[in-house]
Amino acid sequence: MPELRQMGFFTDTTLCIGCKACEVACKQWNQLPDDGFSFTGMSYDNTGHLGASTWRHVAFVERETPLPGQGSPRDGAQAGAGAFAELRPLGQPPPTSLLGGNIAPSHIESPVPLGPTARALSKFSWLMMSDVCKHCERAGCLEACPTGAIMRTEFGSVYVQPDVCNGCGYCVSACPFGVIDRREDDGRAWKCTLCYDRLKGGMVPACAQACPTASIQFGEIDDLRARAAERVTQLRSRGVEDAYLYGESAASQPGTEGLHAFFLLADKPETYNLPPDPVVPTTKIVKSWGAMAAGVLSLAALALAAAAAPSRTRWTL
Amino acid sequence: MDPLNQAEARHDGRNIDPDIGLLAAEGSTQKARDATVHPARATYEEIAAAAREEEGTSYYGLPVLCEPVWNWMIPAYFFTGGLAGACAVLGGAVQAMGGRGTDLVRRCRLVAAGGSIVSAGLLIADLGRPSRFVNMLRVFRPSSPMNMGTWVLSGFGACSAASILPEVLAVRRGGRAGRLLATRRRSPRWIALAADRAGYGAAAFGLPLVGYTGVLLANTAVPVWQQTRHTLPVLFAFSGAVSAGALFDVWPPRRGSGIAHRFGLLARGAEVAASAALDREASTVPRVARPLRHGVSGAMLNTARAMLVGSLLSEILPLPRRAKRIASGTLALVGTALLRFGIVQAGRASARDPHATFEMQRAGRGAGEVVRRGDEPGAGMPALHGVGATGEESVQHGATP
Amino acid sequence: MAECHPVGFRWVMEAKNRGATIIHVDPRFTRTSAVADLHVPLRAGSDIAFLGGLVRYVIENDRWFHDYVVNYTNAATIIDESFRDTEDLEGLFSGFDTEKGKYSWETWSYEGVSGIVPAAGHKHVYGEKGSGMSEPGGGDMTQRHTDPTLQHPRCVFQLLKRHFSRYTPEMVSELCGIPQDLFLQVAETLCRNSGRDRTGAFCYAVGWTQHTVGVQYIRTAAILQLLLGNMGRPGGGIMALRGHTSIQGSTDIPTLFDLLPGYLPMPHASLPDEGALKEYIERNGSPTGWWSEMHKYIVSLCKAYFGAAATRENDYLFDLMPRISAGLSHMATVAKMADGGVKGYFVMGENPTVGSMHGALHRAGMRKLDWLVVRDFTLIETAEFWRVAPEITRGEVKTEDIQTEVFFFPAATHTEKDGSFTNTQRLLQWHHKAVEPPEDCRSDLQFTYDLGRRLQKLYEGSREERDRAIQALNWDYPVHGPLREPDAEAVLKEISGYTVADGRPVSGFGELKDDGTTASGCWIYSGCYANGVNQPARRKPTTEQHWVAPEWGWSWPSNRRILYNRASADPDGRPWSERKRYVWWDEEKKRWTGYDVPDFIVDRPPSYRPPENAQGIATIAGNDPFIMQADGKGWLFAPSGLLDGPFPTHYEPQESVVENALYSQQCNPARIEWRRRDNPYHLAFGDPRFPYVVTTYRLTEHHTAGGMSRWLSWLAELQPAMFCEVSPELAAEKGLENGKWATISTARGEIEARVLVTRRMKPLRVRGRMVHTIGLPYHFSYLGRVTGDPANELISFVADPNVAIQESKALTANIRAGRHSFGRRSVTDGIELRLPQPQRDVPRDLPRIRTREPAEPRRR
Repeated sequence: MPELRQMGFFTDTTLCIGCKACEVACKQWNQLPDDGFSFTGMSYDNTGHLGASTWRHVAFVERETPLPGQGSPRDGAQAGAGAFAELRPLGQPPPTSLLGGNIAPSHIESPVPLGPTARALSKFSWLMMSDVCKHCERAGCLEACPTGAIMRTEFGSVYVQPDVCNGCGYCVSACPFGVIDRREDDGRAWKCTLCYDRLKGGMVPACAQACPTASIQFGEIDDLRARAAERVTQLRSRGVEDAYLYGESAASQPGTEGLHAFFLLADKPETYNLPPDPVVPTTKIVKSWGAMAAGVLSLAALALAAAAAPSRTRWTL
Repeated sequence: MDPLNQAEARHDGRNIDPDIGLLAAEGSTQKARDATVHPARATYEEIAAAAREEEGTSYYGLPVLCEPVWNWMIPAYFFTGGLAGACAVLGGAVQAMGGRGTDLVRRCRLVAAGGSIVSAGLLIADLGRPSRFVNMLRVFRPSSPMNMGTWVLSGFGACSAASILPEVLAVRRGGRAGRLLATRRRSPRWIALAADRAGYGAAAFGLPLVGYTGVLLANTAVPVWQQTRHTLPVLFAFSGAVSAGALFDVWPPRRGSGIAHRFGLLARGAEVAASAALDREASTVPRVARPLRHGVSGAMLNTARAMLVGSLLSEILPLPRRAKRIASGTLALVGTALLRFGIVQAGRASARDPHATFEMQRAGRGAGEVVRRGDEPGAGMPALHGVGATGEESVQHGATP
Repeated sequence: MAECHPVGFRWVMEAKNRGATIIHVDPRFTRTSAVADLHVPLRAGSDIAFLGGLVRYVIENDRWFHDYVVNYTNAATIIDESFRDTEDLEGLFSGFDTEKGKYSWETWSYEGVSGIVPAAGHKHVYGEKGSGMSEPGGGDMTQRHTDPTLQHPRCVFQLLKRHFSRYTPEMVSELCGIPQDLFLQVAETLCRNSGRDRTGAFCYAVGWTQHTVGVQYIRTAAILQLLLGNMGRPGGGIMALRGHTSIQGSTDIPTLFDLLPGYLPMPHASLPDEGALKEYIERNGSPTGWWSEMHKYIVSLCKAYFGAAATRENDYLFDLMPRISAGLSHMATVAKMADGGVKGYFVMGENPTVGSMHGALHRAGMRKLDWLVVRDFTLIETAEFWRVAPEITRGEVKTEDIQTEVFFFPAATHTEKDGSFTNTQRLLQWHHKAVEPPEDCRSDLQFTYDLGRRLQKLYEGSREERDRAIQALNWDYPVHGPLREPDAEAVLKEISGYTVADGRPVSGFGELKDDGTTASGCWIYSGCYANGVNQPARRKPTTEQHWVAPEWGWSWPSNRRILYNRASADPDGRPWSERKRYVWWDEEKKRWTGYDVPDFIVDRPPSYRPPENAQGIATIAGNDPFIMQADGKGWLFAPSGLLDGPFPTHYEPQESVVENALYSQQCNPARIEWRRRDNPYHLAFGDPRFPYVVTTYRLTEHHTAGGMSRWLSWLAELQPAMFCEVSPELAAEKGLENGKWATISTARGEIEARVLVTRRMKPLRVRGRMVHTIGLPYHFSYLGRVTGDPANELISFVADPNVAIQESKALTANIRAGRHSFGRRSVTDGIELRLPQPQRDVPRDLPRIRTREPAEPRRR
């Protein structure tokens, strides 16, 4: 039994440039089929939503509000390579930290303040966000799965065993994020595996490896949480008041007890098509069973009453 | 598209020539015959085109949840399962009240047994991989209503089958299948005894079978189903009972039809009450209740309700008793079936509507309900400056569809 | 940049993270704008006005880097008194020949210096000054006059100041359609970020180059960077972002018609038969500056080409080199093709009917060929022009009438062959073969090598003079593997150079000689195989070396990561500042040293000044960082090397929506036009039929003409259809609906596209009127997994005079809702398209230089 490692993604949408490398890398590594070729007219997003054969999806949000902090003075030194330190393969040192941590101080720029007009000028902003299965600490799909096809791996990820899944489709409705889906012409439910096969081989998930700007960062969740918290403070100090973490801990998202793939967002979750307060259905289900029990028992009572009531029918045996 | 070009294009959606590239990755076994993955669902193109701005922040009006993938078989199963279960219960009750061996009981048992077989058939047929049905019984997982349901259905099937043993044997002993019901011949005492025990067993399994389908739906992220999780199982239970009663109105046993009729009438009353309760429970968030009243699902449910009431009213019509029962029974049967289809349809609509999810959760009915976290609804939810926790905005935010 | 170079953009994001300010200047709001600090949505084709405005701002507000400008640029140099600026001639410089429609350069030269040979510039084709078509060599730079106080009215600095005096913030705002305070903000940010302690860098791509004044766009940026002291310093410079993995390499070892490897000029037809080499060297060499070394490079090149056969006696067979007499650029060739003047055509890794302007004219040309060879991964449109094209669908051209014989060769991808990429920073990086190419796919190297072998075999016995070159060619490389693939490293070694006697790889171009003892395929690449080591294959991670990372790959020349880096130190050889320390003079060791390989004569002290009548590299003073230039200075004023003026000047595109606000000369007077029936132009400005600006571009999801992406589902599904981006305002004006169809038309043709209504396209207020821009990606065409009409069908043949590049980034067009395209093309259906004729004609050129219709191609 390998030691248990809680691995996950930290997706920093403020670093995303919408290149979709993650989407392609994912499909290529996992050899997933295309989703068809339809022009949606939704900005540059033509794949729409996560699905059975789209395990990474980049959302493009065109807003007529400025992105606060753009063009505002920056604290170069405190950013450094840290916030950018790259995808970390299980435990090993970063393969190619951009310029590494070994930068002589003289090479870290100090901020150049822009004029006051900076904010006023950008009345528009374009948010991009690479969405993926959240690998919830408490996973709706896993708890709903009647066959045990969906399991928790040694990396803390939620994994669907394709050879067990019988395509009942219950997980599809149980996922509060609408991630997992059944491919009709295949008959089974599919979703991101956190590149279970790559992790086994000590590699970084394909999407994280392909991300050119380290918007997708992979590593042990605790490290990621620390890095994420640092990044938020940094962004706020740069005037991006809206920056916050989505589902990084049980505290911030009790409904799922925290996500293994959490996000740094700059607008309401709804903007990115994320639920504001997701909850795993099973957390509410006990009462439902109770209600059912009450219902059926009273049903039994009805039956007995009906049968017991005086009747012209005489039982002849 | 250019014909030559078309011919050249591979149809597995991957462009991997198996002679050159090795198909071995996680998704390589995924079959892709056609590009349209969900013929039932609306394309993103259509949704985005239909999305209206005034409805508030959303991602081009795209659904946040995946629509249920189930086809007509699931609501059909809800009906047959409910009917079978309720019959078993009725049969058990009559049996307990000394109606052992009567026509009514026998019919109940037969319907239960038949129903369980049909139900299983529907369930399996709806699977993406029917051949893997047995995987359902790999595990025993209380957290999964579907898993529980499978166990219940199995148990129910076994018992109800056993409960009709005497009749089956009678047929084997030369009785004509047609006279299955009418057979007078006695089977050995011990078999009859076993069958009676099985009858009780079937009733016992029948109880959860009528109700669990409600839990099954409630235990999803679909707003309207999740929201009505306290009333849905009850509604389904009574609706099952109604169908059972109604069945014997149109197909009356020589004896005990009165019992069945009374049972049906009582259940009708209960169902009316339950559906009212369900409506109230859903209405706490208007957007969530929408599909119960509007659209295709709304129409179905209203019709179902109307039929139910109609079947009650038909009782007081100045008609011969037989005609009345047939009328009311038919109405009730169709109505209860329609209810199941309506509820499932409502779930589809609800899942398709992102605002149902958003508004429900912003109203504190997401995790807010189950987790203690401040008093005001939606506390701890990501709130931006200019946006209240419950979502109302002082500053314009978010995407414009 | 994020849009087309996402991987390179990671460094921009890192810079941003370290405190850099990112400014994005682009007509549309792109993925780059999304993460930039400032986005400047200016009108396509108005960049010189914008940059000129910045130049003026820097000068007027005295923000230029004084010590740098005085010592390292030709600001102090006095220009010949016969020179006249655009200020004096309504937008023309002195020396314009109204008949030929081209400039002569006499008046542009330094006072007291006859001819000046520029380090770059396609000077030989057009026989400009310095190409030595008339007098040998360049003038003696030591004779030039300077005024270090920069006060002399004819010194470059004063001329520059006067030239850009019109480019006021008001003018910029009116011309580019941007708010003044936005312009001022950019200017201020730029200035604050320059000087001893700070540097700023420019990145550009074809958005700057694909104009009839393309080269001058870059010139303006160069002038600005010189004034701000941002050249040759860390964090400075101008990066040309390349559209393909090795475009840089394909100009270094050129696929260009007028250059030999290492930017040696192509021999001209006017060279004598006797003593051609001597003449060539005299004409093209420069008596001063590093270019005085060029004779060594041409001789070494001959040795590489012809091997043992090349001897001192036979002038190293130089006379076998091909010679040119005229501009044989892409468009010139295709136009000739369309007139039946070309027999055969090789298309390797290109898809011109989609990727190049006026695809219909390309197809017309190909129909007139005897044979066409296409090498690509799949059957691209260029290979199937005879089967799938609008004119075929319309029945105007019948396949059976096309006599062209098409040969298609499947090509190997970069993962199926060894080789090197040269990227925008001149960095060579080696890639190793991962798998054997499948079936009949072969590498370009093998194809070319094999073709050469077959040709040599074919002409073995020939007595023809013209076949000698093929016979003499040194064409023998070791082959290996089941497919008998030529050894790419052997080629690299030959490019790098070796001593003929023992075949020992040379350490760099310093070792190359003019006595035939050395051979080198490309002098600037010399040393990339030093010590028999494949230098480009080095992959030492940054974490294991200092931040310049000299041991990752290899960059020409001599593994220098920053060109002219002597400029990173002050005139006395000390770093301008601690923060910007890069290369400096070490007093103890009496040598130049630093993080990078010094781009200077390593032991020449800063104090060195050339003695009287010095020759060759001895003339390079200790404070002449730009050693390739004859005077060792950065050129604010270009006395030669450019065909359309020593200073950049704002001219409107060939087809514009507005009149030139700055001069009465509307367009670049030296531009190359093709006045042909099948290549109709719109009015110079305000054409009522074509009221909107069109600009074309690439998307991240596809690659150029789509040969590598449109056939691949994983990429195709991300951008599945040809679309046009329009602003909500334009959509409202023309009734365009998002997701529905629209038809875009020019005089050349019409295409259909899906509509994408977006706020990212911004209507601009230019000269008092609203200007709408239509954005068109150019990836799509008639074949592949996803198809759509090619945007380039709309674009005309018109070129910049210096490099003959097309103008595809700014033109005019019309758009209307719905699918109304009949696939009409001016080439096959001209009349229909050109009607109704505009009533009035608008002059592109000043009346007095308009001339009668000349023979084409025609420059004016």
